[in-house]
Amino acid sequence: MTNYLDALSVLLLVSAFILMGNKRIGSYIKTFQFQSALVALLTGIIGISSFAQDGRIDVLIICAVVIGIKVLFIPYLLKKTYAKVAYRVEKDFFLNIPILVLICCLMVVFSYFSFAETMGINTGTINNQIVNSFSVILIGLLFMISRKKAIGQIVGFLVIENGIFVTALFATHGMPFIVDMGILMDILVAVIIMGIMVFRIDEKFGSINVDNIKDLRG
Amino acid sequence: MGYVLLTVPLLAVVLFIVLKKKHLQHVISVAASVTMTIAAGFLTWAVLKGGFIEYSAWGGFFRVDALSVIVIDIVVIISLMTSIFSVGYLENEIKHEKLTTDRMRIYYVLMHAFIFTMLLALTVKNIGIMWVAIEATTLASAFLVGFYNGKEAIEAAWKYIMICSVGIAIALLGIIFLQFSSLAVLDSSQFLDWTAMIDHATELQGPTLRLAFIFILVGFGTKAGLAPMHTWLPDAHSQAPSPISTLMSGVLLNGSMYGIIRIVAIVNRSFGNSMFVGRILIAVGILSVVTAAVFIFSQKDYKRLLAYSSIEHMGIIAIAIGFFTPVSLFGGLLHMINHSFTKSMLFLSTGNILQKYNTREISKISGLFKMLPVTGVVFLLGLFAIGGTPPFSVFASEIVVISAIFQEKNFLVGGLLILLLAIIFTGIVVTLFKLFYGTDIPKETPPGELNIPGVIVIVLLLGIITVMGLYIPNELRILIDQAVEIVIGG
Repeated sequence: MTNYLDALSVLLLVSAFILMGNKRIGSYIKTFQFQSALVALLTGIIGISSFAQDGRIDVLIICAVVIGIKVLFIPYLLKKTYAKVAYRVEKDFFLNIPILVLICCLMVVFSYFSFAETMGINTGTINNQIVNSFSVILIGLLFMISRKKAIGQIVGFLVIENGIFVTALFATHGMPFIVDMGILMDILVAVIIMGIMVFRIDEKFGSINVDNIKDLRG
Repeated sequence: MGYVLLTVPLLAVVLFIVLKKKHLQHVISVAASVTMTIAAGFLTWAVLKGGFIEYSAWGGFFRVDALSVIVIDIVVIISLMTSIFSVGYLENEIKHEKLTTDRMRIYYVLMHAFIFTMLLALTVKNIGIMWVAIEATTLASAFLVGFYNGKEAIEAAWKYIMICSVGIAIALLGIIFLQFSSLAVLDSSQFLDWTAMIDHATELQGPTLRLAFIFILVGFGTKAGLAPMHTWLPDAHSQAPSPISTLMSGVLLNGSMYGIIRIVAIVNRSFGNSMFVGRILIAVGILSVVTAAVFIFSQKDYKRLLAYSSIEHMGIIAIAIGFFTPVSLFGGLLHMINHSFTKSMLFLSTGNILQKYNTREISKISGLFKMLPVTGVVFLLGLFAIGGTPPFSVFASEIVVISAIFQEKNFLVGGLLILLLAIIFTGIVVTLFKLFYGTDIPKETPPGELNIPGVIVIVLLLGIITVMGLYIPNELRILIDQAVEIVIGG
C-alpha cells in the first residue's frame, strides 16, 4: 500500500505544479478539481485499508464527504462565481510562470531538507509523503500571493487546505472523525462566504483584481 | 449549567430567524446574554469549589477548568455589555436610515453565532475541535466586519477572512504535528485531548513538538493579533460596527491567546523549561509592542489607534506567558481581563462618538466634552487607563508583569518594555487629546448623549476597571492562581 500512497503523493505534487503553470481562472478550478479527486482517492485507499484492518468506516465516510464537498460542490460554486464576475482576460500574475515554477522546485528542495533535519518524523529514511504534501502547502501559499484575482486567492487557500488534509492523512492516518468533519464543514462555509465576498468586491471595485484593494494602510 | 451556556446562544440564533418583530429581537439578545452570564456565574462557582467540570457525554467532550472559566467569564460579561449597548446603537442606526430591520436581524444572528463559536472553543477538551471552533469564529464575524458594505469595509472583511483563514490553516498543520508527536503514546480515543497530552507530556516526541508549537503560534497568533501577523487587525477593528469591534478586541483576541496558552502548557511540560517557547514568545511580544508604538503616532483614525493598542496589549500578554513564572503568568492572565474590560469600554465609547460626529477621522472632531459630556469623560479616563495610569486596572497588571520580568533579572526586556509603554502613552496623548477640547463643534447636531443604555454600560465598565485597579476580589485571585497552577503544573 505504501507504493500507492507514494505515487499518489507525487501526483498531488505534480497537480500543484500544474496549477502554478495555469494561466486562466477556468483552468485553476479544473486543476483544483483534479487535485481534490486525488485527495479523495487517497482518503478512499486509507479508508478501505482501515476498514479491512479494524472494520472502521469513518475514513470512508470522510472520503464520501470529500468527494461531495471538494470534488463536486466547491468547483461548481467557483465556476458559477467566475461566470458571473469575469468579463475580461488579462495578465494575472506578478512574476512570470517559468520563474514561479522554478521557485516551486526550490520549495520542494527546501521542505525535503527541513524534514531531513527534523528528528522523529523520519525514522532512518526520510518520509517522502510528508515532504510532498508539505510542498503542496508551500506551493499553495506561493500561488496565493502570485495571483492578482480574488478567485485565484480562494483556489490558493483551497490548495493549502488540501495539502494540510493529506499531511494529516500521511502523518497520522486521519485525525479524530469529528475533527475531520468539522474541518471540512469549516472549509465549505469559508468558501461560500469568500464567494459572496467576491461578488461584493466586484460590485464595489468594478473588478476582482486584488491590486485595487489597497485603501487601508498603516 | 455548561450545556445551558452553549445552547442559549444557539437558541437565540434560531429565535432571531423565526421572530421578526424588531423589539423582540432586542429583548431576545439581552435575555440570552443575561442567561449566559448567570450560567457562567454558576460554572465559575463550581470551578472555584471543585477545580474543574467535566461532563461524560460524547467521550468527555465538554471540560471547563479555571483557565477556561476566566476567559468564559470575560466573553459572557463583554457580550452582555455589548448586547445592551447594541440596543441603543442599532436603534440610532435605524433612525438615521443606515440600517434596515432585516439587516439588524442578520447582525444579531451573526453576533450570537459568533458568541456561540467562541464559547465552544473555550469549553471543549479536544484541541482539534477547539481549532474548528476558532476557525468558525472567523467565519461568523467576517460579514460583521464588512457589515456596512462600503468599499473600505469590504476590503477589511476580505483581508480578515483571507489572512485569518490561511493563518488558522497553518495552526491546523501544527495541530497535526502535535498529534503526530503523541502517536506512540496515546491511544486513538485520546488523540488531541489536552488533558491526556498534559499527563503524558514528557513522553511526547520533542523535535516534532517544537515544529508543532511554531506552526500553532503562527496560526493562533494571527488571530490573536501578534505582530508580524497582525495586518488584518487594524482594518477589521476600524471598519466593523463599534459593538463588533468591542467583541473582537475583548473576546476574540483572548480566545486565540487561550489556545496558545494551552499549547504552551503542553510544550513546556514536555521540555521541563520555558527556554524554547519563552524566547519565541518574548520576541513576538516585543515586536508587537514595537509595532504598536511605531504606528500609533501616525494614526488619523481613532478606532485604528485603539486597534494598534490592542496589538500592544496582546504583545504584553505574550511576553508574560513567555517568562512562564507564577508571577508573570498571574500578571498575564490579570492583564487579559483588565485589557478586555478597558478596551471594550473604549470601543463602545467610539460607537457613541461615531454616531454623533459621523466620522472616524481625528482631525474632524473637536469639543467632545461639550457634545457628549458623559462619553467624553469616560473616553478620556479610558485613554488614561489603557495607557497604564493608576488607579486603573491596566496599570496594576502591567506592574505585576514588569516586576515579574525584573524578578527574572531580565533587565533588557523589562527596561525596553517600560520605555515602549511610555512611548505608546505619549503617542495616545499626542494623537487623541485634540478630540476633547475646542469650540469648533458642528452646528447642525445639538449636544447630548444619543444612546442612554450605552452610556450606562460604559459608566459601569469604568466603575469595574477603577475598582479592579485598587482591589482584586479574593475569588478572582484564587481563580487566577488555580489557572496558573494548571498552566505550570503542580
